Amino acid sequence: MFEFIGKNIKRIDAKDKVEGKAIYPQDIYIEGMLYGFTVRSKFPHAFIKVDVSEAEKVDGVVKVFTYKDVPGKNHHGVVLKDHEVFISKKVKRIGDPIAFVVAKSKEIAEYAASLVKVEYDILPAVFDPEEAMRENSPKVHDKDNVFYHFKIRKGDVEKAFKECDVIVENVYKVPMVDHAFLQPEAGVSYIDEDGKIVVIASTQYPHFDQEEIAQALGVSKDLVKVLTPAVGGAFGGREDITLQIHLAIAAFTLKRPVKAVYSREESFIAHSKRHAMKMYYKTGATKDGKLLALEAKIIGDSGAYASWSMNVLRKAAVHATGPYVVENVKIDSFAVYTNNPFTGAMRGFGATQVPIAYEQQMDILARKLGLSPIEIRLKNCFKEGSETATGQILEKVALEKCIEELKRF
Amino acid sequence: MKIELNVNGKDYSIEIEEHLRLIDLLRDKLNLTGTKEGCGEGECGACTVIMDGRIVNSCLVMAFQAHKSKIITIEGVEDEDIKNAFIEEGAVQCGFCTPGMILAAKSLLDKNENPSEQDIREAISGNLCRCTGYNKIVSAIKKAAEIKRGGRNV
Repeated sequence: MFEFIGKNIKRIDAKDKVEGKAIYPQDIYIEGMLYGFTVRSKFPHAFIKVDVSEAEKVDGVVKVFTYKDVPGKNHHGVVLKDHEVFISKKVKRIGDPIAFVVAKSKEIAEYAASLVKVEYDILPAVFDPEEAMRENSPKVHDKDNVFYHFKIRKGDVEKAFKECDVIVENVYKVPMVDHAFLQPEAGVSYIDEDGKIVVIASTQYPHFDQEEIAQALGVSKDLVKVLTPAVGGAFGGREDITLQIHLAIAAFTLKRPVKAVYSREESFIAHSKRHAMKMYYKTGATKDGKLLALEAKIIGDSGAYASWSMNVLRKAAVHATGPYVVENVKIDSFAVYTNNPFTGAMRGFGATQVPIAYEQQMDILARKLGLSPIEIRLKNCFKEGSETATGQILEKVALEKCIEELKRF
Repeated sequence: MKIELNVNGKDYSIEIEEHLRLIDLLRDKLNLTGTKEGCGEGECGACTVIMDGRIVNSCLVMAFQAHKSKIITIEGVEDEDIKNAFIEEGAVQCGFCTPGMILAAKSLLDKNENPSEQDIREAISGNLCRCTGYNKIVSAIKKAAEIKRGGRNV
């Protein structure tokens, strides 16, 4: 009946991949191409002054790019344009890009990068998002560090907690996680025969990249072509720009092909992380195990840039009750700037962090009430027609059946 | 300095810099880009090649150490059973670990056509994969072994 569903389909690119013929950006070599190497901030929060004169004197160096060489807008960012292509005044995390050294070989570029002088005027930094929420904390972007607050309100939690026979209150913390996709960032940029700026990079968002590259170059979008060859894993970690604009500016300015390949270490430093979250949970139930109220405060560490934090913290809040019906809900989630590595998309997009909190709350409640973990879940789980904390009416819910199945284990 | 080596059955006599790694020789000079660099410090196994019958991380071998040696890279793997098994079992996703995985599998099956699951997991223990969760790779290697023993046809 179906052409694909229920059948074992071979990946269209699998043959090339098993033969080693699939082309990732690092596998592209163009006659006469130059190599770029990024100079990055060594401190999490500091005003900087940059001197590239020594680096530019090195034999084989073609040009060292800084914020002064950005032809268009010196910014990018998937939701807020809060990243700079190259830092102009203030670094906000370790690894912020300051300069891009372009030379005849990778070794020369790397050596010359060590000669770029960066003077740091070090500022107090903030690494704990809760501390960053206080009024007197260092300001990462010279404004309030809290840039997103999402609220869910349903029923009356205050009244409901008074009616609960048992209340469990705990704080849960989950750390940052790196995607560690196996292929480190790499890319090539050149001007094609039609005069278009081509950027070949492993990206999750060629159309976003095109827009951001065009803005930074100060050209119209139709002059920029982004090509995505084989992508060596991504998991959300390639949703933000890393080297795409640097390469485009270099190729556009020098009219020569330019390539860059990050080491594993630079890859860790350059791209986003999964949000670390601190989750305050208060869950209350009646003595027969029916959930009555849930109150949660979720604080997400956005690091130095917003990336997808609003979307991630919204999703964390929407999933904060877990797959359980609760009549009275009060949830507040916050995205907060700190001087940590920036956080963005990673598999689950905020839905991954909260289960450790809401499920442990269920287990602790069950123990206190003398119920089995399965009993308490069956009593409260979403069923056909259930209403979520955000008012969504659910259809085709098979959760009860799934939990029943678990009885066998 | 000049070294001589055989790569995928072809003899080379090639001028190299002393600091050149085997992976750079393969990728940058011989154009064999199927060998991947994932970490550059011997952790991930993406750069796995077979050197004189043993698997090595080509990022940890200096090119001069490969003098007089016989190297097999993914481009030189003629064993279609392993490659087909990887495709059929869905063991290939992003593909960046695949060449190294296939060489590790080949190195195992060259010595042992009836490996246990434990043998397979040990054989690929030096190769990281971030997509599949390994199970499909293990199934693919099991299947390749079965085909080799004549148990099943592809």
